[in-house]
Amino acid sequence: MSVLSSDRIRRAAWRRRRRRRREPGGGGRWDTGLAGQSKLAPYLFSTPAIIMVSLLLAYPVIYGLYKSFYRADFFGGPEEFVGFENYSEMFHDPAFWDALTKSAIFVTGCVVVGLVLGLFFAFALNRVVSQLRFLRSVTIAPYIISNVAAAVMFRLLFNSDFGLLNRTIEFFGFDGPSWLADPNLAMGVVIFCQVWTDLPLTILLLLAGLQTIDTSYIDAAKVDGATGWKRAWHLSMPLISPQIVISVVWMSYSTLTGLGVVLALTGGGPLKATQTMPMEMYSTAFTDLEMNQALAIASFILILNAILTLLYVGLARRYGTVE
Amino acid sequence: MTVDTEVTTTVPPKVPAERRPTGSSGFGRVVRQILLWIPLVILMLWTLVPFFITVMISLKTRGEVFGSTSALPNDPSLAAYREVIERPGFRGAFVNSVLVGLGTTILTVALATPAAYAFARFNFRGRHLLLLFTLIPRLVPSLGLMIPLYQLAVTLGALDKRLTLVVVYSGMLVPLAVWLLVGFIQQIPPSLEEAASVDGASMWKRMRYIVLPISLPALITIGVLSFREAWNEFTLVLVLTTTPGKRTLPYELYLMQGIQGIENYPAEAAFTVLTILPFILVYARIEKYIVAGITTGSVK
Repeated sequence: MSVLSSDRIRRAAWRRRRRRRREPGGGGRWDTGLAGQSKLAPYLFSTPAIIMVSLLLAYPVIYGLYKSFYRADFFGGPEEFVGFENYSEMFHDPAFWDALTKSAIFVTGCVVVGLVLGLFFAFALNRVVSQLRFLRSVTIAPYIISNVAAAVMFRLLFNSDFGLLNRTIEFFGFDGPSWLADPNLAMGVVIFCQVWTDLPLTILLLLAGLQTIDTSYIDAAKVDGATGWKRAWHLSMPLISPQIVISVVWMSYSTLTGLGVVLALTGGGPLKATQTMPMEMYSTAFTDLEMNQALAIASFILILNAILTLLYVGLARRYGTVE
Repeated sequence: MTVDTEVTTTVPPKVPAERRPTGSSGFGRVVRQILLWIPLVILMLWTLVPFFITVMISLKTRGEVFGSTSALPNDPSLAAYREVIERPGFRGAFVNSVLVGLGTTILTVALATPAAYAFARFNFRGRHLLLLFTLIPRLVPSLGLMIPLYQLAVTLGALDKRLTLVVVYSGMLVPLAVWLLVGFIQQIPPSLEEAASVDGASMWKRMRYIVLPISLPALITIGVLSFREAWNEFTLVLVLTTTPGKRTLPYELYLMQGIQGIENYPAEAAFTVLTILPFILVYARIEKYIVAGITTGSVK
């Protein structure tokens, strides 16, 4: 009990310190404003932005949640309240569970591959800090282009007739598979493409973490005879764990709610092999025209995402890396 | 890394790193340098090969794409680019993308700047809404907005309007923009403005001559990020536009894959290059602002 409470006190004091640090000069805010300045000014200044955000972000989501409890007999017909019926139908639909499985594979695949590659490249970049500017600006390229453009490029790259990959395989005397027509391989290609577009941010985040590591730690480990791999594993990795956590959660957010890459690359096919939950929502809404049913799926994704976000905020707070 | 490993283990500890004997002097160092650069070469290949292949295919003819085994075009031609540019779908979408991009940039900066100033400088009721600004964009991905915004746009008759896209994109970007700017404005010492105030500068003058000039880098970052978002956004333009003349580039590119019976790969590749190129050119000039914005901004 005493241990617990003292721990709590210490943590509260730490939090207070952090808060003070975040607001320099006692907040740097004026209570009344300077001479000749209306008290209304801050309200006038912030109202347009707040209205914008409420109308365009908060309201639609609440509207969507609300409408997910309604149902229309036909598209555009009158809607009636049906309670949780859309949800119970969703949970009894095998297509939903299929999409949930596909999403789980997609998210896990992207996070694992993304993290491994992100760490590899971040460590590599960290060792050549002097040439970083150029390398970094090239590295970011996949992140600043449209998802659709990335998907088209990957369709060209993985084309079964003339794609670079199959041309290379043919060069060694084998026949390349039809990547995007094979249900098992298509998911791999989609994961690959999604990782390609998301990786730059992961690398930059992890690299930022690596560059804050005090070099004296590394030197001390060198003096103690720790090898390169040991230093990376036992020293650098624990020190950048906040950045690793942030990257993982960001990647899962981006892949759980991401539609662009999947839609433009495979459209959910072949044989629904890449029908993730966002795809399921999209086709329910705009192919089957069951808007309210689709809103139930959307709400489910949003709730999953909210859980992830809270997890993220909690972890980031705890590690004190909220920027 | 591996060479480094061997070297360190053979050397007694306490020898400073620089004076460590590196194998057979010159040769060892060369091998080390090579091993150091291999991951970076892989990174460059990983990043650039898709771009390179796309550009090469865009320079080929339709027959050559299938016929030739070489990645490089035998006889580079810009025919595919001419074809794409002459297509009304492309030109219309390009104009739409530019207009929506500029509109979004202007509206986002115009809304975010005063709000950020208020949040950064004043103790007023409602300034805790700032926290909301940090959470909302993550709780509300564009996926969750697709259907509600579509339905609202149908009800309000706002489908197929560039202004709708501008307003929606700005709404999505304002929280991020405010967040970035608040951090920046808080770093400007309030004493600067207090001094100006003593000299009789009104709030408008202080904003015009002190706050805005100092926060110009942050404003550029916000502008570029807004433009990028509007230029690349796909999921919302997909549901908010229905007629051909109103689409932006990503939507038009997405449609291009399906509409021809036999796919015209060089044209697709050329379309992709023309979609990417404008922003890459912008990006090359002001890269440092973007990297700063992306790392502090998009993850928060």
